[in-house]
Amino acid sequence: MRMLIVSSAFLALASAFLLYGLNYETRRIEANLQMLERAADKAKTDIAILKAERAHLARPERIEPLARTYGLVPAGRNQLAATGDEDSAGGR
Amino acid sequence: MRPQMRAGEIRTAAASDAASLSAGEGRREAGRGSPRSGLMALSVALAFVAVGGQSIRLALRGQDEPTTSMSQAVPTSFARPDIVDRNGRLLASDVEMPSLYADPALVLDRDEVAEKLARVLPELDEAEVRRLLADRSRRFVWLRRGLSPKLAQAVHDLGLPGLAFRRELKRAYPAGALAGHLIGAVNVDNRGLAGIERHLDESGSVEPVHGATLSGRAPLRTSLDLGAQHALDEELKAAMRRYDAKGAAGVVMDAVTGEVVAAQSLPGADPARVADLMDDSRQDKLTGSVFELGSIVKMATVAMAIDGGQTTADSVRDVRQPLQAGRFTIRDLHPAGRPLTVAEIFIRSSNVGAGMLALEAGADRQRAFFERLGLITPIRTESGPVAAPLLPAHWNTIETITLSYGHGMALAPMQFAAAAAGLVNGGTRVTPTLLRKLPGEAARGERMVSPETSRVMRDLMRRNVTDAAGTGRRAAAAGYRVGGKTGTAELPVKGGYRQNAVISSFLGAFPMEAPRYVALVMLFEPKPTREAQGHVTAGNNAAPTAARLIERIAPILGVMPAGAPEPVDDGTTVVDPGDGPAATFEAPVDAGVAGFDGVGDAKY
Repeated sequence: MRMLIVSSAFLALASAFLLYGLNYETRRIEANLQMLERAADKAKTDIAILKAERAHLARPERIEPLARTYGLVPAGRNQLAATGDEDSAGGR
Repeated sequence: MRPQMRAGEIRTAAASDAASLSAGEGRREAGRGSPRSGLMALSVALAFVAVGGQSIRLALRGQDEPTTSMSQAVPTSFARPDIVDRNGRLLASDVEMPSLYADPALVLDRDEVAEKLARVLPELDEAEVRRLLADRSRRFVWLRRGLSPKLAQAVHDLGLPGLAFRRELKRAYPAGALAGHLIGAVNVDNRGLAGIERHLDESGSVEPVHGATLSGRAPLRTSLDLGAQHALDEELKAAMRRYDAKGAAGVVMDAVTGEVVAAQSLPGADPARVADLMDDSRQDKLTGSVFELGSIVKMATVAMAIDGGQTTADSVRDVRQPLQAGRFTIRDLHPAGRPLTVAEIFIRSSNVGAGMLALEAGADRQRAFFERLGLITPIRTESGPVAAPLLPAHWNTIETITLSYGHGMALAPMQFAAAAAGLVNGGTRVTPTLLRKLPGEAARGERMVSPETSRVMRDLMRRNVTDAAGTGRRAAAAGYRVGGKTGTAELPVKGGYRQNAVISSFLGAFPMEAPRYVALVMLFEPKPTREAQGHVTAGNNAAPTAARLIERIAPILGVMPAGAPEPVDDGTTVVDPGDGPAATFEAPVDAGVAGFDGVGDAKY
């Protein structure tokens, strides 16, 4: 009888510790999850902004004068050839 | 707790019951026998209850979301998918931006707030801020939506109580005003107002969100090609400078699927500025207004004559005498002085000839044929309804004649470009669309004219550019077989037409033997500059602009140059009188009474 009581008291105590341990672990994981979610949100926002900025920098209005300073011009008809048509592609 | 305790008692009682069969008093003796162990059992039981309770609590709590939202329950913004061009280049995207709001109840000194804010945000109206902050019963007023992070920090640094930020989604247009009319605009809540933006709302792609949650939907792929769009924009701007025009518009459309690969109307509209959309002078000339298009409509007249079997391209009409209809006289500005074939009527753009062909067909057939081309019924694109055609109130002899060369009826240029695409693509109807069609999705439209009529039209349009007397000679693009039709329409004013104030246009297709694209170039009120050889006619301004445009965009669109070298007009030839103002200089002045006062008024 005594053994039963003592062991069950021990069991109760042990499971209580386990439970509180789990509780804190859960909270920690939750906090971590929130942090990761925030980081993911932030990353998504940053990606959206960077994407928009890249598109803005790559807009043709800006690229064209830059390309022209390097001596580049729009592709002309002499630069196009169908497969098997390479000889005549030189144009006039 | 109670049931357990009682159960414990009963169990101990049962044990002692088995040990001795004494009376009820004995049983009570046994139960009370060890008060300590009873107490222990009780406390252990309590501990288990506590553990059980806690685990149930945790189990229940674990079921709802681990994160809790602090934002209010009503949606604060609308997440929109990106808009991209046909090759995936970004045209519009949501970005997160801080918006400034105030809680008037927490503001200590509203004069101080208004003054300090106005210093940091100069465009903020100080009086308006005072007014907003005056009502302390309101707990939330927007002061400024969509601040840059730098400005938000500056406001934050003021350290004023009652001011706070909320992160919101704002639309960004990286390409600027390049395709403003097509993209449209959104309001301050990120809801679409016009253009493709409104199409997104109407097609249910926009989701209400809390705070600033970006849309997870796939981007909307438009039919536009950013490179071609830029080339069109540049060429139109250059043409406006070269010919000192008040406005310009152009569209390049897939001749079969109706996909609009480039469309621009100048002066343009910046999608980031809603005010541009309301500005009448910036109205989209391609879909938002209707114009008398002039001689390019002869495409429809000649197609009608040929498709009905009424005539062939080689049959001859005597166009030497001006056409009489009641008290109106229709004559050509530069009469040929000899009878012309139907082909020559088209190539030399004879008003008298077109009028004769229309009279042979009659008003009913003309109307039915225009209906078949889709010129009578209003159309719509994804960006909304296209301005409805303005038709003559009475369709009598004089109207039949003037309609044959594009006067007395006002059309949205986009609508006519689609009809022209149908005339050259083998004869099937084309519906303009702003969305990209995948190869499998683009079914051919219903039949409009016979394949043979379409072939003849392609031939005539090509000859208009190659023929020595063709009005479109200057549209010959180096390396590409271009064909088309010029049109110079006088601008109507009250009671008649304005002399020398014209809309000149060139409607062409390339490569002409099997057109892949249809291109329409329009110049509004071009001046007779030196570059235009002192003329305002389409053959001298719109046609060369189309040539430059096609030379530039054909490689972008992957159209192969023609194998054989083309005869290229070097621009030094003397202006042939036959090249003349095509349609319209004289006839419309007489015909201006046809009930069209003010229609197609210069909207720029």
